[in-house]
Amino acid sequence: MSRRIVLLAAFLFVAFGCATGPSPTAQRTALTVGLGYIPSVQFAQFYRAQQQGYYRDAGLDVTFQNEIDPNLVTLIGQGAVDIGMSDGTSVIPAAGQGIPVRYAATIYARFPNVVMTGADSGIETATDLAGHTVGIPGRYGSSWIMLQALLASAGLAPEDIAIRNYPEFGQGVALRLGEVDAATGFRNNEPVQLARESFPTNLLTIDEITPLPGPGLTVGESTLASKREALRAFVAVTLRAMDEIEANPELGLDAAIAVVPELADQRDAQRAILDATIAMWASPYTAEHGRGAVDPQAWQASIEFMRGLPDSNIPADLTAAKLVTEELLP
Amino acid sequence: MSAQVRPARKRYARNVILPVVLAAVVFVLAWKAVVVIGSFPTFILPSPETVAARLVEAWAAGTMTPHVLATLSEIGWGFLVGASLGVLIGYLLARSPLAERLLSPYLVAAQATPILALAPLLVLWLGTGLAAKVVICALIVFFPVVVATIVGIRAVDSRLLELGRSLRATRWQVVRHLEIPAALPQILGGMRVGATLAVIGAIVGEWAGADRGLGYLINLSRSSLFDIPLMFATLVTIAAIGVLLYGAVVIVERALVGSWR
Repeated sequence: MSRRIVLLAAFLFVAFGCATGPSPTAQRTALTVGLGYIPSVQFAQFYRAQQQGYYRDAGLDVTFQNEIDPNLVTLIGQGAVDIGMSDGTSVIPAAGQGIPVRYAATIYARFPNVVMTGADSGIETATDLAGHTVGIPGRYGSSWIMLQALLASAGLAPEDIAIRNYPEFGQGVALRLGEVDAATGFRNNEPVQLARESFPTNLLTIDEITPLPGPGLTVGESTLASKREALRAFVAVTLRAMDEIEANPELGLDAAIAVVPELADQRDAQRAILDATIAMWASPYTAEHGRGAVDPQAWQASIEFMRGLPDSNIPADLTAAKLVTEELLP
Repeated sequence: MSAQVRPARKRYARNVILPVVLAAVVFVLAWKAVVVIGSFPTFILPSPETVAARLVEAWAAGTMTPHVLATLSEIGWGFLVGASLGVLIGYLLARSPLAERLLSPYLVAAQATPILALAPLLVLWLGTGLAAKVVICALIVFFPVVVATIVGIRAVDSRLLELGRSLRATRWQVVRHLEIPAALPQILGGMRVGATLAVIGAIVGEWAGADRGLGYLINLSRSSLFDIPLMFATLVTIAAIGVLLYGAVVIVERALVGSWR
């Protein structure tokens, strides 16, 4: 009997001791981090920071969640996702419609959406697009905004080109097959794939015309207030992982392959995509102000451009000051 | 005469219209209660009055009209093609055991294939214009109509057919004057289901790729504009179209079945 009591006492001591004693997990702040639609090499910095224990060491318990961009912005505003990668061109209309989100750190310092043309097509500027057929996924999203900005820079409108829709994002293949003269795409995707298929392209970019904001880390206002220090730590170690991957891209590639083992089957192609991605992490502005820096003037210019688009619902009182925050940057 | 009509109208209003209106009121009140109790912001669940105001604004500004016309056109053509083929093939399957053995497995397999998976392929093959949406609508309308037609034709009283033969009616006369009228209630029942499914077909087609239509407007308001009240207003419009189409088939059903029986 006494032996049973001793065993019971020992059990209770261990059980309560474990439950009430300090535990490393309990002290860490849980963060749900939203990434793009599917895991890919483009999120290598997050994977590396997780695998190397940078988040853990910063007192964070990070969980990744993949979502399409429109859902992600709403989930961030709702507080269901603490921080996530969102298109800057989504954050502007979302905030304009009252979704309480702030863009907190630039990841893509160069706008990833471009117009591609065949290297020998003779189309080398936005002006040259007049009268040509351009393949797009649809009249929505960041590609469509970029195309309108590019055309506007040359005094053109969408009516001055022939638009062909490729809702399944087959416009890159259409360009290669000669179905269209130009196509929208992502600088770190279609042009890389086409180059690997010996189809070099000219890229018409928007960066020097209308500095549209690329994807970056976006937070909800309530989360910003309640988890400020955890978010600051998250941003700092994510930027550190970007530094490491920029110095040695193989680190990023290995981190991505650890998450998506199938990527190893096309290591060279994935390395090319990662290299193109890394090339977009820096701009003259981030070179001067540090990685992740947010350019308020560029944001203001983007807001004004998007407000002027047909069917725009961006309210007149939306300003960059209400949309971006630099308080999470190191 | 008018004295007889008036009580009938009163009964109709009391037994049919009143419950529908009451159900709508309860639904709107419940919706409002959920918004208030849950303190949901507009970007998660807009209140009914916000959606109603946005609906009126979108119609007044002309935002809705081109999209509604595009979707109605897709539904109309898709329903016409799907229902016509459904009746023709349904009749063939009902009257030809060989055709049934040959075609039935493929029809069932086609029905089991999710239209959501097929839609992007159809858009890829047929483009983002009207053709792909018509085919998607037709595919989704076809199956309930074909099944209803088979059931209806097989249920035709064999004595009626014998009577037709004894009167030396031609094949076409039997079909037109005996089989179709007798099977019409079932066929129109299938069309009632098909009419509402046609709306879904059009929206699925527009989701897969379109520049116009209510499905496109949902995508646009959700993904690019983040205008959630507009998205809800579009959903209300789609639901209203479904109800109106269903009602239209019911009216046709009453007129035709009433005139034949």
